[in-house]
Amino acid sequence: MDNLTIEGTKQTPEILFDAASGILKISGRSIPENTFEFFNPVLEWLDAYKAEAPDKIIAKINLEYFNTSSSKYILEVLKRLKSIMADSKDVLVQWFYEEDDEEMMETGEDYEDVSGLPFEIIAVEED
Amino acid sequence: MAGQSIYQREIENLEQSKKFLQSSNYSQVELQLEYKKLVENYEELIDQVKIITKISDRLQNKLNKTNDALENSNIQLNNLNRQLNETIDQLTEAKIGRKAGTIVMIVVLALFLISEAFIEPIIDRAFPDNFLVGLGLKLVVAILIKPGEDFTNKYMLRQARKKQIEESKIKN
Repeated sequence: MDNLTIEGTKQTPEILFDAASGILKISGRSIPENTFEFFNPVLEWLDAYKAEAPDKIIAKINLEYFNTSSSKYILEVLKRLKSIMADSKDVLVQWFYEEDDEEMMETGEDYEDVSGLPFEIIAVEED
Repeated sequence: MAGQSIYQREIENLEQSKKFLQSSNYSQVELQLEYKKLVENYEELIDQVKIITKISDRLQNKLNKTNDALENSNIQLNNLNRQLNETIDQLTEAKIGRKAGTIVMIVVLALFLISEAFIEPIIDRAFPDNFLVGLGLKLVVAILIKPGEDFTNKYMLRQARKKQIEESKIKN
């Protein structure tokens, strides 16, 4: 299966999904004009990946800011990961936030609660 | 339209339920199953709305904080800019003041030399016994030094400001 690589912009996050290693990275800012257009290929890739996923998957999410519709899509991404986990795969979500960004830390905690996925919430130093 | 919406799946579920309702040809068990599915979808939707609203409000708060920080930075930047402009103005005034002083001194020196070389002999000839006339002339020149310097200073400052305004117009 091909990797999914989408370069980040000022409005859209960088997507680096490595199919073989199971490392799925989402980072940056997510305020696309058309969220459907941006996230649909991501969700389609994850749907296809379900059948070919390795035993261990680590999703590394490091978002600075995202809009309301992106929050819905992040939830959809997590649902896809939950569905992969249901196939007896080991899935871990690493949620990164800048150390003084309390809002993003709490958002990670909310996603952990609602998704039922194992989360690691990790503070990173500011640039 | 459903194919292009972020609520694609939810809309599809709703359409399915509507279709089921229109068929009117279903058993009690089928009805129960459909109703169960509808309740589950509704429950999931409520969970989603709750979490998305919560996250959205929180991120709005983050945006507000960032805006406040940006506003404070702008105020600080404007203050620093004002201080910088004041310092530049003071430096320009001091520079122009020195320049004006030098020009006036050169003019005074030139007037003194002209007076000594050309005017003084004429006065001496016209008023041979009265040294006060020559002295008075020198006194007039001396008295005019300060107003001359002030006038030159003000004129040069006006010119410098005019130049600054023209330069800023070109930049903008």
